[in-house]
Amino acid sequence: MRLEKCYFCSSTVYPGHGTMFVRNDSKTFRFCRSKCHKNFKMKRNPRKVRWTKAFRRAAGKEMTIDATLEFEKRRNIPVRYDRELMATTLKAMKRVAEIKARRDRVFYKKRISGKKEHEKQQNVLEIQRNIQLIGEPSLKEKVMEQKVMATEERMDMETA
Amino acid sequence: MIQLKSLLKVIDNSGALLVECINVLGGARHASLGDEIVCVVKKARPLNVETGPSTAQAAVSKLKKGDVARALVVRTRKEVRRLDGSYVRFDDNAVVMLNKQGQPLGNRVLGAVANECRQKRWTKIISMAPKVV
Repeated sequence: MRLEKCYFCSSTVYPGHGTMFVRNDSKTFRFCRSKCHKNFKMKRNPRKVRWTKAFRRAAGKEMTIDATLEFEKRRNIPVRYDRELMATTLKAMKRVAEIKARRDRVFYKKRISGKKEHEKQQNVLEIQRNIQLIGEPSLKEKVMEQKVMATEERMDMETA
Repeated sequence: MIQLKSLLKVIDNSGALLVECINVLGGARHASLGDEIVCVVKKARPLNVETGPSTAQAAVSKLKKGDVARALVVRTRKEVRRLDGSYVRFDDNAVVMLNKQGQPLGNRVLGAVANECRQKRWTKIISMAPKVV
């Protein structure tokens, strides 16, 4: 039994699941569930819909270039059954999944690093910009001081 | 879901282009993939007037507007359940024209044909089709 990939979300379509649509030029589209089929009928582009694999890949949210991704592929040449080969394949699948999970973790960490500092900076800027909304005078003074310091620093940088 | 008055596209070279269903054979309410229907030709390919006598003879067997003939449903827009539980859906409703004995009138089929026809004595049409899905 062949496990197909959903045209819209790229998840696996197991036997007996989903719908197949055949266009008049005999190109077939498989969908894992009615959600994907409906989105296709709405003529949505999977690369622009945020929950699909295609979007995540296009937006750099997931690993795209990696040796572990090369193993799972559509192969049109049938392999003659061999018990030894099957055993080693099963072993290899586990190992590959392990390595892939590790690399995914590293990729995610790398992508997310620096996010906290950036957010903090943004928050400080927002407070400085909308200072008139702050009611407490002591807090207001503190923020103003910070702002002056920041501008002075910038001036120093420019003169130096 | 082909029933009385359904318009269907003809995907062979029998001469007809568009047909209307006037009866579903086999006592069923609707026809689906692999079912036989009776239909009337609504639009046909124009006959060539200036061709010689030999081609004119060939044109006699071709269908004209108003002819009544049998046809086999090979594509439906309504999804059809496969034995494994998945569903298949096509872009349009299409037929292949047949004579009274159930033999195809044309000798070519253009476009995809559903695999459902294979199970019901229509292997000849299946073998003519460029793609079976």
